[in-house]
Amino acid sequence: MNPERESCLVEVLDRLLNKGAVLNADLIISVAGIPLIGVTLKAMIAGMETMLEYGIMEDWDKSSRELYASQETHIPLFPGEQVLYKAFGYLREDEGLIKCWVPGIWNITSQRIILWIKTPGKVLFETPLENLRVLRVPASHEVRKELELIYPEGRTRISLSERDEFEEALAGAAEATNAMKRSEICESGQLPYQI
Amino acid sequence: MVKEARYLYSVARTGHDAMLGSIGIEKNNVYIITYKDIAAIVHACDAKPYKTEDKKLAEGWVLEHSYVIDQATKMFGTVLPFSFDVIIKGNDDAVKDWLCRDYENLAGELIRVRGTAEYSIQIYCDHAYLENLVYSKNQELVDLKNSIEKGSKGKAYLLKRDLDMKLKNLTYSETSRLADRFCSEIKPLVKELKVSGRTSWTPEKYKGKKLLATYCCLVSDEAVKKLGEVLEEINCKEGFFVRFTGPWAPFSFVRLQETG
Repeated sequence: MNPERESCLVEVLDRLLNKGAVLNADLIISVAGIPLIGVTLKAMIAGMETMLEYGIMEDWDKSSRELYASQETHIPLFPGEQVLYKAFGYLREDEGLIKCWVPGIWNITSQRIILWIKTPGKVLFETPLENLRVLRVPASHEVRKELELIYPEGRTRISLSERDEFEEALAGAAEATNAMKRSEICESGQLPYQI
Repeated sequence: MVKEARYLYSVARTGHDAMLGSIGIEKNNVYIITYKDIAAIVHACDAKPYKTEDKKLAEGWVLEHSYVIDQATKMFGTVLPFSFDVIIKGNDDAVKDWLCRDYENLAGELIRVRGTAEYSIQIYCDHAYLENLVYSKNQELVDLKNSIEKGSKGKAYLLKRDLDMKLKNLTYSETSRLADRFCSEIKPLVKELKVSGRTSWTPEKYKGKKLLATYCCLVSDEAVKKLGEVLEEINCKEGFFVRFTGPWAPFSFVRLQETG
């Protein structure tokens, strides 16, 4: 096959703006030692969403990724315990003066339900799957998708936008781990089901 | 008014003064400034960078810059292409001083890229073909798929997630393996090769296909035909598609040492 010289603007821009030789700063028009190789132009042409792809914000991206990586923590798990499902959601905090929804990552493991916050790595809530009952809370005026967790020590409300998937995963975890059989899920949300 | 700076397009191998005409950015007169057997291809400008809020105008400038590089290549052979908006402070003598100071470096690079050009190769693969290939090599995936069909709704949900994750990882390994294999076929035919997992643009024809790899190659003029034959073989394989573009000035291969 023969090479084709397609005149694609994006490819020309990619070469002219991101590749090609650049001179040392003392010879070229520069601001505070930074050669003006059309940085503003690059930003304008490429657009924010493609800036990373074009490599303009690579340094920024690298450093922020490193920062996040250094803060990366892991949920303390028991030997043999596996995380089966993760989803972003909230926990209702009703104790204390301020009543609010606390955000975090809901994890369903082979043994527990855990609300985890990444920075700083902290378990906000956990309860074993065993003896857990889950109740659907009818839509509140906030139209949150809520569930109520009922366990031997008490009960608490949680909220997830992916509530249906969370319930599926919970049911799957119960089956996969042979936890106590759940009773039927009641669509009306009036009857709790048990894991 | 005398223009106090020079916009630099490229450096070429020639010892004779020449005019390229009004082909520069905003129809500026492009000419060459020589030192020994090398020359800078420039236009006279004000000592300030080209800046605008107008996207169309900016794109036009970049295309005009590209056109000058192409014309210079036709006239003088392979040139060292410079990035957009590289402006040398001072008049023709300042440019000559720079050519003199950096002569070894520039002349060395011109010799290194002489008789070559940059080519870009993208190899795409059909998604369905790739998935079948991965399934055919991993019985575990087939078993997992079967258990999903038999399992209850909740269990199937978790198994599906597991299958998706495994399929993703195995597909990644398979594409890396294929990319390495094609790379080993291409490498002996080129002077230099750079591998990248991305491309700045995908033509309509290849949309929806999986990009296996992008190779940027510096190729001798006499090796282009052979490279085309090897790529044709890959292109003829079931499930694979090759995009072969060029020639370009060696944008990805110019190495100028810091002289500051």
